[in-house]
Amino acid sequence: MDAMETQELKDRLALIEQMMKAGRRSTESWGWTFLLWGLAYYVAIGWSALGATYAWPVTMVATCVLMGVFLVRRDRKPNTTMNRAVVGVWIALGVTMMTLMPALAISGRFADAHGSIAVVCALVGMANGASGIVLKWRLQIASACVWWVASITACFGSEMLALVVFMVAIFFCQIVFGVACMMAEAREARAMKDGAHA
Amino acid sequence: MPELPELNPVVHGKLRLAVLSLLATADEAEFTWLRAQTGSTDGNLGAQLMKLEEAGYVAVEKKFVQRKPQTLYRMTEAGRQALTEYVQALRQLLGGTMFSGQ
Repeated sequence: MDAMETQELKDRLALIEQMMKAGRRSTESWGWTFLLWGLAYYVAIGWSALGATYAWPVTMVATCVLMGVFLVRRDRKPNTTMNRAVVGVWIALGVTMMTLMPALAISGRFADAHGSIAVVCALVGMANGASGIVLKWRLQIASACVWWVASITACFGSEMLALVVFMVAIFFCQIVFGVACMMAEAREARAMKDGAHA
Repeated sequence: MPELPELNPVVHGKLRLAVLSLLATADEAEFTWLRAQTGSTDGNLGAQLMKLEEAGYVAVEKKFVQRKPQTLYRMTEAGRQALTEYVQALRQLLGGTMFSGQ
């Protein structure tokens, strides 16, 4: 086999890898949801600081509705096994948060800010970690690590420190991460337009 | 010396290989999505998909969604097997150099 044939075979293998990565791109099209939820957390924190009792449930339900509206309106992407695995993790997180948090609030066990922030950070970290591992995506795994560190840190120090740690984690792991995903998606869309793959 | 494997000519075509690789990760995919991912023309993609369909590697389903025609492609078990064998043959031909980062 000469060098030209070897190169052609290597090109074929690279093509297979490149095309299979197409399934991985699907999560980057969810960048806007990270941003949306990051902003929603800030609204809920700010609103509840003003003394509104129902700030969290109202903001969370409103964000769910808003997300549903966006999802119905956006273009349909092919359903991939990887996509289903990742979406499954996030749906499970959503169900856990939407059931556990109201239950804690109603039962009066939500009073401890340290515990509730630590639980939220750990759960979001777990979802980011699981989908980052499935997608072999270092940036998302790094985001999960930040959430886990925030979860541990929230257990110590004052309540104010726990809240600050929570807000910093939201900034980096929701706002910055969401914007980075959206920028990566826009870059890929441009690259797709510019060059032919095959 | 062990005999080198033959590469399946149906899978070896660049666009057909791209389509099979895409379909390997998707349960099913629309024609328009495959066209966007591969950057090919309607005519070329349609012709290559027909070859894959004739080989039994791809199954096609045509339906109407909100009165608009939609063509969905799915990889068959034979297609998955053919792609797996193709990758194994490639690895054998390259002698593992690709996977050792050389």
